[in-house]
Amino acid sequence: MLLIAALVICGMVTYLLRYVDHGKEWALYFSRANSGSTGQLVDRNGITLAYFNGVDNYFSPDRITRAANYHVTGDYWGRTGTGILSRYWNDMQGFSLLTGTTRKEDSLLTLCIDARLNDQIYLSLGEESTGCMLVCNYRTGELLGMVSTPSVDPIDGEGAVRDGAFINRCLSASYTPGSIFKLVTAAAAIENLPNLSQRTWYCEHEVKIAGVPITCMADHYTQTFEQALANSCNVAFAQIAVELGQSTMIQYVTDYGFLSGHSIDGIPTVKGNYPTEFVGDPETGWSGIGQSTDLVCPYSMLRFLCAVANGGTLVEPHILQNDTPAITQLVNPNTADRLGQMMNYNAVEHYHAETMFPGMTVCAKTGTAELGDGTSHSWFVGFLADADHPYAFVTLVERGGFGITAAGSVASEVMQWAVENLDA
Amino acid sequence: MLALSKYVLIILSLVLIIRCIRSMLSDRYEPEIWAYLRYGETTYTLTHWETIIGRSLNADVRVVSPGVGRVHAVLRRNDKGRWRVYDIFSKGGVWIKSVKAGPEGLPVENGDVINVGGEKLRFREVTLSKREKLESKRTVAGLGISPAVTLLELTVFQLCLLLQHYFSAEGDTLRAIALAFVALIALEWICYNAMRVINRSGFEIETLAFYLTSIGMSVVASSAPEDMFKQILLTIAAVVLFVLLGWWLRKLDRAMSARFSVAVISVLLMLVNIVFSDALLGARNWLNFAGFSFQPSELVKVGYIYVGASTLDKLFRRRNLYMFILFSTFCVVSLALIGDFGTAFIFFVTFLVISFLRSGSVATVLLAVTGAGLAGFLAVSVRPYIARRFSTWGHVWDDVYGAGFQQSRAMSAAASGGLYGKGAGGGWLKDIFAANTDMVFAMVCEEQGLIIGVIMVLAVLVLAFFAVRTARQGRSAYYSIAACAAMSMLLVQLGMNVFGSLDILPFTGVTFPFVSKGGTSLLSCWMLMAFIKSADNRRDASFAVRSAAQDEPDDGEDEDLSSWEVWQPRKK
Repeated sequence: MLLIAALVICGMVTYLLRYVDHGKEWALYFSRANSGSTGQLVDRNGITLAYFNGVDNYFSPDRITRAANYHVTGDYWGRTGTGILSRYWNDMQGFSLLTGTTRKEDSLLTLCIDARLNDQIYLSLGEESTGCMLVCNYRTGELLGMVSTPSVDPIDGEGAVRDGAFINRCLSASYTPGSIFKLVTAAAAIENLPNLSQRTWYCEHEVKIAGVPITCMADHYTQTFEQALANSCNVAFAQIAVELGQSTMIQYVTDYGFLSGHSIDGIPTVKGNYPTEFVGDPETGWSGIGQSTDLVCPYSMLRFLCAVANGGTLVEPHILQNDTPAITQLVNPNTADRLGQMMNYNAVEHYHAETMFPGMTVCAKTGTAELGDGTSHSWFVGFLADADHPYAFVTLVERGGFGITAAGSVASEVMQWAVENLDA
Repeated sequence: MLALSKYVLIILSLVLIIRCIRSMLSDRYEPEIWAYLRYGETTYTLTHWETIIGRSLNADVRVVSPGVGRVHAVLRRNDKGRWRVYDIFSKGGVWIKSVKAGPEGLPVENGDVINVGGEKLRFREVTLSKREKLESKRTVAGLGISPAVTLLELTVFQLCLLLQHYFSAEGDTLRAIALAFVALIALEWICYNAMRVINRSGFEIETLAFYLTSIGMSVVASSAPEDMFKQILLTIAAVVLFVLLGWWLRKLDRAMSARFSVAVISVLLMLVNIVFSDALLGARNWLNFAGFSFQPSELVKVGYIYVGASTLDKLFRRRNLYMFILFSTFCVVSLALIGDFGTAFIFFVTFLVISFLRSGSVATVLLAVTGAGLAGFLAVSVRPYIARRFSTWGHVWDDVYGAGFQQSRAMSAAASGGLYGKGAGGGWLKDIFAANTDMVFAMVCEEQGLIIGVIMVLAVLVLAFFAVRTARQGRSAYYSIAACAAMSMLLVQLGMNVFGSLDILPFTGVTFPFVSKGGTSLLSCWMLMAFIKSADNRRDASFAVRSAAQDEPDDGEDEDLSSWEVWQPRKK
């Protein structure tokens, strides 16, 4: 009997410890509508994305705005874990271990996000598409746009929701990168291969590495390093990756943060993948051109691009205003400059920059990530080298085909809108 | 005002529980002295009505001799002050003046020499006048800590609760709530005064039970104010049954002789339950009549304790043991059959506790076998249920709209109350199904705060510790076993209720003693308190215990041929 009493006491102590540990989390989980707190979530221009008046919870009156910004706001029911409401809702409510839930008046969260930009991205991607786009001011680290499709209209609680709509593809998914990964290989080459400017690579559709063929889309014949990136030549970059060696590649992929999860004001992102077990030269070649088992989270690519665009210095992207971002030297300044020039060369020479990005100094790279089933993810990533419009962007259309056509046109529309409508 | 009343409630609860702890648990060990046995040079003081004589280390009077068995004989005093000695299957036998004692016993008179397997023990009774003298040296219960003051604090506590309901209740329900609280206060003061009239001064057990009952009353007022009237009627009925059972237990022979009848009634109740009950929430443990839903298994709990306990002379008889095993098996199996696995488990643990308290040599083996058998049966029959409940256990937050619906809400509500609570009627959990029964701990934490929630658990713990303490100086093994078993039952029930709703144990849906809404549960909890009252033989403490200094009525009836005795075939 004393044993039973002891067990009851142990149980009670367990509960008290857990209460101290998780009390707030538990209390606010269901007390959301019950605490009577009031507050709102606004974008950088003061547009209200979500508000609650102590009785009810609301979102923007505009359906497109609600859906376009859904993955930013999240909802009051925590259906998407990466939304601001999911992450910050508890902080907008009052709680203390002593008094339990309390009323908190007029909490205000101001985001770096531009809701109108998100609307534009959402429309450019198309409601029926599956993809995502991130836009970030690389000088300040402010995350201006973040849209993932398919999306959800949060007030349409009972409506049919497309598969995977609750996933924020910008943060919570990682994809085969394809040719955009050549930017990483190129950065490693700039720092490790001597006499790079004097070297040339010859491409006649295919190269055999240890007897295993790696094919290219075209015959590029003799090309310089710059031309090889602009041609997005698999033959050249597979050879470069092999020459660098797997361990050097792993080091760069790791240093640039592709293999780690990051945090945007406490919202976690997923990590990518790169073959880290010994795989031999042919696989090293394939992984150097973004195939093999390579996986990249769009957000990690954005971080890398922000650093390249900003002379190698990364101002950590963030989503809440009034946040002092961490500053790190992610990329060597010389490497960043050279990579930037090469990306600009790409855009000008190969991507019809003058029509797709009129009046802009655009630096970009496409990616057509073959999935082995005949379809490809379409990537278009880059930045504007423009002090008035310092935007880095990552665009992905799942199974969208060629990088330039699907993702490229989305990026083109969005950047034109941004340059016209955004004040940096 | 509301905010102030919260703190007043907490302070009163703290003071009340501390007063009860000091009063109940800090008393010195002061056994009653009934007789002496002289063996060789040693004089043993008999502090119980039942004394085991034998070679065993656990024997009250240890006689180490080759002719003496481990548990050789029991010397027992009855209500009327008559002593008998019983032979417990000894090889050496028990004689007085060359008359051999059988299992049915032999009268022992003052000055007799009892021959136990060849060893001689001289028996000397404590005379009435000596007993009065001894009794006057013992501490009177409640002397240091006045029960009236404690009860007054409880009254203020109840008035504060009522005040909180005044602020939160809907207009037309307030009258019923006020009426119920006033009736409750009247009830407890009537009880107190009645007890003073019969010169008893131990009221801590009742105070704690009333404390928990008033929290339960507040829970009903918040969650189902329309049932207030029913609740107060049931509370009155519960207290009346408590007093009646306590009174009945005063006479041990009477209590013992009714055991067989109680067993029969319990079995009938269970059978009625199995045949006629309605399925509610998976467990068919409800009977409905005249607007009251009725849970027979709750009353069987009381019957189980009543039958499970026994005086020492009977305790070691095989017949008694078989009977108990049969009865336990019947209870657990039938509860499992109707799907009330929570209660089945409570019975099972109580069975283990009683078994432990009874433990004799043969008994231990048989009880262990039965225990294993019942555990096996439970495990097998409960498997689908276990699979369902256990799959949720520890993962309630993964499925808050499905399997974890109740627990996650209970935990959330409990945490949102903080330490001081939202005030009676101020929570949201009350609108969730089963908030006032299965999740009542959480509901109390939400409305009254964690401190009162913990004090509530503490109150039951204090009763349990008190039962253990008092069992040591209990007059009869019957009272000691009954008190400990009753408290174990309530403790297990409390543990399963509280920790089930907080996801520390699987969710079973049993009730929190006194606090959970549910009439039959309230009745059974109060009746279980009667067993503790009957074991509380501090000086002038309990109405259920006759004063040690009181002269026993001598109506000349020597033989106690009870139905139990008739039923029990005599051993040749």
